[in-house]
Amino acid sequence: MRHVILSLSKGLRIYVPLALFGVFLLLPFFWMLLTTFKSNQELLNTPNPFWIYHGTFAHVTDLLTQTAFLRWFANTLFVSVASTVLSVFVSYIAAYAIIRLRFPGSEVVSMVIFLAYIVPPAILFIPLATIIIQLHWFDKLWALVPVYATFLVPFCTWLLIGFLKNIPRELEEAARIDGASNLAILWRIIFPIAVPGLISAAIFSFTLSWNEYLYALVFMSSSGNKTVSVGMTSELIRGDVFQWGQLMAGALIGVLPAVLVYFFFVEYYVAGMSGSVKE
Amino acid sequence: MSHPDRRRFLELSAAGIGAGALAGGLPGLASAADVVFKPEKDAKLELLRWTAFVPSDQVIWDENTKKFTAATGVPVSIQSLAWGDMAPKAALAAQVGSGPDIIMGWNDDPFVYPDKLVDMTDLVENMGRAHGGWYDNARSYCYDQDVKRWVSLPVGCTGNAVNYRKSWVKEAGFAEFPKDLDGMLKLSRVLKKNGHPTGFALGHAVGDANSWTHWILWAFGGKQANTDNSIAINSAETVNALEYARQLSETMIEGVAGWDDSSNNKAFAGGKIGLTMNGISIWYNGKKDTPDIFPDFANVTPPMGPVKTHTVSNNFTSAFIFKYSKYPNAAKEYMRFMLDKPQAERWVTEMKGYVTPALRAYADLPIWTSDPNITPYRDALASAKYDGYNGKPGKAAAQALDEFVIVDMFADVCVNKMAAKDAARKAETRLATIYKRA
Amino acid sequence: MTSRSPLLARLDSPRVLGYLLITPAAIILLGLLAYPLLLGIWLSLTSATIGKPGEFVGLQNYATIFADPIFRGAALFSVFYTICAEVGKLILGLALALLLNQRFRGYRVSRALMLLPWVAPTVLSALAWLWLLDPQFSAVSWLLIRLHLINSNIDFLGSGWAARFSLIVVNIWRGLPYFAIGYLAGLQSISKDLYEAAAIDGANGWQAFCRITWPLLLPLTTILLAFSSIFTLTDFQLIWTITHGGPTDATQVFTTLAYQRAITGGQLGEGAAIAVSPIVFMVVLAVFVVRSVRDR
Repeated sequence: MRHVILSLSKGLRIYVPLALFGVFLLLPFFWMLLTTFKSNQELLNTPNPFWIYHGTFAHVTDLLTQTAFLRWFANTLFVSVASTVLSVFVSYIAAYAIIRLRFPGSEVVSMVIFLAYIVPPAILFIPLATIIIQLHWFDKLWALVPVYATFLVPFCTWLLIGFLKNIPRELEEAARIDGASNLAILWRIIFPIAVPGLISAAIFSFTLSWNEYLYALVFMSSSGNKTVSVGMTSELIRGDVFQWGQLMAGALIGVLPAVLVYFFFVEYYVAGMSGSVKE
Repeated sequence: MSHPDRRRFLELSAAGIGAGALAGGLPGLASAADVVFKPEKDAKLELLRWTAFVPSDQVIWDENTKKFTAATGVPVSIQSLAWGDMAPKAALAAQVGSGPDIIMGWNDDPFVYPDKLVDMTDLVENMGRAHGGWYDNARSYCYDQDVKRWVSLPVGCTGNAVNYRKSWVKEAGFAEFPKDLDGMLKLSRVLKKNGHPTGFALGHAVGDANSWTHWILWAFGGKQANTDNSIAINSAETVNALEYARQLSETMIEGVAGWDDSSNNKAFAGGKIGLTMNGISIWYNGKKDTPDIFPDFANVTPPMGPVKTHTVSNNFTSAFIFKYSKYPNAAKEYMRFMLDKPQAERWVTEMKGYVTPALRAYADLPIWTSDPNITPYRDALASAKYDGYNGKPGKAAAQALDEFVIVDMFADVCVNKMAAKDAARKAETRLATIYKRA
Repeated sequence: MTSRSPLLARLDSPRVLGYLLITPAAIILLGLLAYPLLLGIWLSLTSATIGKPGEFVGLQNYATIFADPIFRGAALFSVFYTICAEVGKLILGLALALLLNQRFRGYRVSRALMLLPWVAPTVLSALAWLWLLDPQFSAVSWLLIRLHLINSNIDFLGSGWAARFSLIVVNIWRGLPYFAIGYLAGLQSISKDLYEAAAIDGANGWQAFCRITWPLLLPLTTILLAFSSIFTLTDFQLIWTITHGGPTDATQVFTTLAYQRAITGGQLGEGAAIAVSPIVFMVVLAVFVVRSVRDR
């Protein structure tokens, strides 16, 4: 009897709220799934929108064969991974300098980093474009990597500062007594401990890069350089006719890499953020 | 059709291709003698156009482009973007002074940065002479009255017509579609009573909301500005138009204030509404997506109001060349070629009249009369006015369109239940600010 | 001991090494960000239009926009939108984190799945939401009608306030996972001993939360909230895709209005002014955050 009461109470405490959250958070994705496999006709006229009466794979195959979706996917993957690697690296060493080396001006830097988000990309892209063009970076896919770093580095630096703050100084002092240079400490002592924080920053960066739209739209021009979001909206939204099935198929496939990354690293991610906010 | 390779950068690979076309003479290809604007040496072009609304548009346009390259040796790379995404790209090109050679833009785009654009007078006059002249609307959207020259080459419009369900109109007691707005209102009331409401966008739908509101405004004699750009919106005619719209809105389905451009297409195809206004896409897609009700779809030229002439509002598209382009002659020749008879005929025909050309000669193409549902789109430009009518097309009109001043005025009356007089006054204030600043 | 060359020793000094390590970040941020930022702010002080640099006009653009009822409306809604969304995300994110902090069957999968809204590109998930918020085709309306909870389809976007709240809900949906994961990390860093001690003292769950959990999470809350607020205050794609600022400008925010005026309307100076105007909020926020974190 006690058993039943306990599991009932667990059900109420955990599974019911979990289900509620699940429905709220995942309903749009369920809709994407349904739309991917529904025929256009059924999408517009159906006795039950939650059911698929005449399924079709055409949207998926059309997406993969009639558009350059795979190319866009590869482009986005490349840009996301590269900007993540660059941003995390740059942020880590900057955070280390600010926190551990306490060189003069570190406080100002902390505050200024925060102000990096003041002018939104919706306007910033115009003055930024002038620079991109002067550097001859226009329509070069890899140029998105440093451009994305402009909005990734500030937050990642902040995150890593918080994380590094909590690493005990004794470790460094011990290493210094042993004659290690600061550089060695950076790589051999602190870096391994900072890994959860780095993964955390990496996941954040990867997500933001993957989702970015405006810069990818404006700074690239050849079809071969399009990212997933730009490619899909430019080729599957034709005036007032939206290719819903393909759009939703692409949305789902597009979400997969990030989900995989999260699934494997979420434990690290959680540990990373928790290290960052300890007092 | 399958297009695994979306990269449309065409290189003149073997010199033989060009030579063969010029010498051997495949029919339909321009020979060297037909070239009007001699392309510069080593020219290559980049065109930015809006993503074709129907696949056949893209296919034929690409084929015609290949023909051009074969005939002149000028490679052309084409970039397509959703029509709403063209604005930041064009803005950027104008601002930083580099980008595509040619942009196919919309409405008042060229008037936002006219001094960055190449003078198109020679091309416009040449084509007008060759193809029966231009519709008046073409001049409205491509001749800049401030710098006093043609800054863009008119291409055409995605026309608007009224779309309805034949059986429901018949059921409502109308043997044929009413010719005037009063009749249409009567019809709409019966349709609504029968469970087939009308639907016209009142939200910030760039295409659909602007199309019907401008049509009604002009049908009652209302106008945004006078020829000297003084604001003329606050008038009895405008109030009448708003009153009519208010009554029409009572026959509409719920939620139109939140509609975007795709909403009325969905609602019509899904059988939720019986009457709306749209480009030919709403009819065209019915064949594929909803074949069982497709025969019941019909299109008709929008009915007239008290002014007793048709007053259609369309989305006008034109091609402009930036001064930073190294190959303006090649660009002009390319556009001339693409809109020339052998190419344009096929283009317009294959896409079933999706774009109504701005050149009058193409109104004679058989495609327009091949189906009575396509014919209303042929006349879209003939009876069209331009946004900002009757003022000067230009920056101010462009901004007023972007800010949805006219749409919001109608929405204030129909959705926010504002009195028509107050809505007109509010629009007047907004327009005054915009026109003063521009 | 090791003997290093004097040069290396020099390079290794905190001062020099510090500057070296900062350099890559500095290049990226100063070269690609600071300059455009300053240029953007400069634009707001000129009468620039697309293609024409215009001339310096001081604060005139700001005076113009503050006199514009549409801008004032956009400013108000931006702040309202941000406050509502942040509060929603905080509370729901924390609740979800408390939930996911427990061990139950499938907790790993749950954690990964719960992240989906944040991970999906906004431009595409907004399109899915368009369907769920559709006045004719919403599956949500359909379900609620079948369950006899409502009589007719919900008009999610067809009136000012309905559209505003719909957008807030979508923003909460998207940002909730970010808070949830952040709090999850924070919760795991709180020592279990504290809870045991509280239990011994007779505190119940709610009291433990108020006295232990919440106070310890405050620094994290500050950081999560600060960055999230900035992103919400400058939100663009979500609103542009779903309502485009309508109906009748009810859902205009700073960035949508700025974009509309600057890009499609050509008024760069005025658009830049609109985009920069929340700067006051942001500076205040920045100072507050830095001070509060520093003081600990």
